[in-house]
Amino acid sequence: MDWIIFSLLNGVIHGLLLFMVSAGLTLIFGMMGVLNFAHASFYMLGAYFAYTMQGIVGFAPAVVLATLLAGAVGAVVERWFLRRVHRYGHAHELLLTFGLSFIIAETIKLFFGNYPVDYRIPPALDTAAFVIGSQQYPVYRLLMGGVALAMFAAIYLLLTRTRVGIVVRSAIYKPRMVEALGHNVQLVFMGVFGVGAALAGLAGAIAGAFYTTNPNMALEVGVMVFVVVVVGGLGSLGGAMLASLLIGVLTSLAVGVDRSLADALALVGAGEWARSAGGLLTLKLSSLAASLPFALMLLVLLLRPSGLMGEKA
Amino acid sequence: MTMRTPLLPALAAVAVLGALPVLLPAGLLNASIQALIAALFACAYSLLAGRAGMLSFGHAAYFGVGAFATVHAMNALGGTGLLPTPLMPLVGALGGLGFGLIAGWFATQRSGTAFAMITLAIAELLHALAPQLKGWFGGESGISTMRMPAWCLSFGSTTQVYYLTLAWVLVSLALLYFHTRTPLGRLTLALRENEHRLRFLGYDVHGLGVSAFAVSSMFSGIAGGLQVLGNESANYVVFDAGVSATVVLNSYIGGVGSFLGPALGAALMSFFGYAVSDTTPSWLLYQGVLFVLVMMFMPEGLTGLVTATLRLLGRHGVMAVLPLALSAVVAGLLLAGGSVFLVEMLQRLCSQDYRSLARMSGTAPPVQLFGRAWSAAAVGTWIVPAGLLAAGALMAGVVQRCRRGLALAASPEVPERAAALSERALP
Repeated sequence: MDWIIFSLLNGVIHGLLLFMVSAGLTLIFGMMGVLNFAHASFYMLGAYFAYTMQGIVGFAPAVVLATLLAGAVGAVVERWFLRRVHRYGHAHELLLTFGLSFIIAETIKLFFGNYPVDYRIPPALDTAAFVIGSQQYPVYRLLMGGVALAMFAAIYLLLTRTRVGIVVRSAIYKPRMVEALGHNVQLVFMGVFGVGAALAGLAGAIAGAFYTTNPNMALEVGVMVFVVVVVGGLGSLGGAMLASLLIGVLTSLAVGVDRSLADALALVGAGEWARSAGGLLTLKLSSLAASLPFALMLLVLLLRPSGLMGEKA
Repeated sequence: MTMRTPLLPALAAVAVLGALPVLLPAGLLNASIQALIAALFACAYSLLAGRAGMLSFGHAAYFGVGAFATVHAMNALGGTGLLPTPLMPLVGALGGLGFGLIAGWFATQRSGTAFAMITLAIAELLHALAPQLKGWFGGESGISTMRMPAWCLSFGSTTQVYYLTLAWVLVSLALLYFHTRTPLGRLTLALRENEHRLRFLGYDVHGLGVSAFAVSSMFSGIAGGLQVLGNESANYVVFDAGVSATVVLNSYIGGVGSFLGPALGAALMSFFGYAVSDTTPSWLLYQGVLFVLVMMFMPEGLTGLVTATLRLLGRHGVMAVLPLALSAVVAGLLLAGGSVFLVEMLQRLCSQDYRSLARMSGTAPPVQLFGRAWSAAAVGTWIVPAGLLAAGALMAGVVQRCRRGLALAASPEVPERAAALSERALP
């Protein structure tokens, strides 16, 4: 029973982390119609920025600075790269961000080498929060979940309760109308892009210390974040939250299940046949955990093309 | 796109390609085989991305399925029976077509960004599953095979493999070109231009999308099969996201707007990679930078640059354009030189060897670059790239102004003002 509680907790926290990265992506998509391929690169940049500055200013200030720097890089990308190619269409913008993600990953390799760097959580935070059975639960995981939840609350309040939020939300739905009413929509675009990048950077700075920080982390997280955004519905913040939690819990639970389809078929007496057929039928669910999110995404796209909570198709 | 490919240059190009085994050493010939395969893959890809306007980020899946279908067929048939070794890529074509039909049926339900994401998901699904399915994909180590002799040829030498690859690539390119001439090919173009109107005219839009997708994956499968013929093995790494990324970069650097653009881009980038990857570990960075530059300043790709230059030549004559083109090339070289110097210098300074060396000696030892030792702490070292970049930027600015002046001078409506402007622009 212990492992179920642990898997659920781990899954929820992994999901919250995914949400931190995908929140910015889904906001940017809803607003500009651009699926930013480089978004997960900001996550990686956050981790590397924090790693570099940790030795100079300490852990907490390094995380804050890394967040701000990632946001600044995001704003630069929007202002001097994306805006230039906007007139060539969405496909072009997608390709440009694709190229930028390539450049960011290679630049990281240039400076830090093509191997994981030694970015760790500070010893003060490296303790157990509580003990269930014989296993300890690290306090840092709870911290990661707490930061993500605080961030969700902050964005939600910002978008629904403030004037800035009203302008941003209206710019998502009718950018031309908002422009005609005298708001600087270009600035709003740059701001949302920067804030989205900063959120991804924050997630990277926090998660990089717990998991590994290496030049491939952008690709690993990036693909999963796309799945989250598509499953949740492009442009929907609530959908991104739901999908992140769903995927986090699903993969975390699947890793612990040591059964295959053949075992399920054995219940109806077809176990021998399934084992002799081999292939997908005898694969353990735990080894399929990595591919489950993609299967889920294909399923959602077929049954509910606009995503779980999406309005824009 | 409707430009007719003149027969004579095409024949000359084929003759040059046919003479390559005599002209090139063995190492370069192997690189040529890879370049030919990359060219075919890029052409197959841009049938979908360029002509049908459907951006796929997971084309490695169809390349990989073709490769594995071929490797299994080679092992099962042993080069005998109905399909001798030279015809093996047909199995790859069949594999690509079959998987492309299934995947295409799913993916083309949606268009635009969602389509791109579905293709990405399919490829990643396959990439995650492949190492687990040992029976089909051979696990981590992959599956190896042998090229069996057939048709009185042993296929033991690189030259024979080269000619086999060349024959397959030429036939495939001819078929792909033929596809653009058929009514189906024209409708594929229409699908990109205006899907709504096409549906209004009574065409089955989904069916058309699937057909473009399947044809594209079929030729990707042939490319995968050719790679297996060359390497005599297949590994699940062919499903890697890097393979999908490379074909996107290659195609768009070449320019998906023209038929041969992607093929030329892929061939160019393969040789570039072959020449540079041994000397510098950061060549992927150069590839990425080149791609972003092309996306930002030449949305039509390198072939677009060539057509633009030809158009300028036709309008203003050689004498007016030649100095401009030469200075543009010089500006490009200066900028490239400055950036390469900077990147290589940083790469050496950040390498683990150098860091431990610096830690041991307590000072910053000089760095070997371009056959000369540069002191990392000296100002003179950093003035070199800064100067190159500044000179290049200055020259690029001048070229830009001159080109604008040329365009203004040629437009008949405002001759006086244009002349004044162009005079002012020319230094």
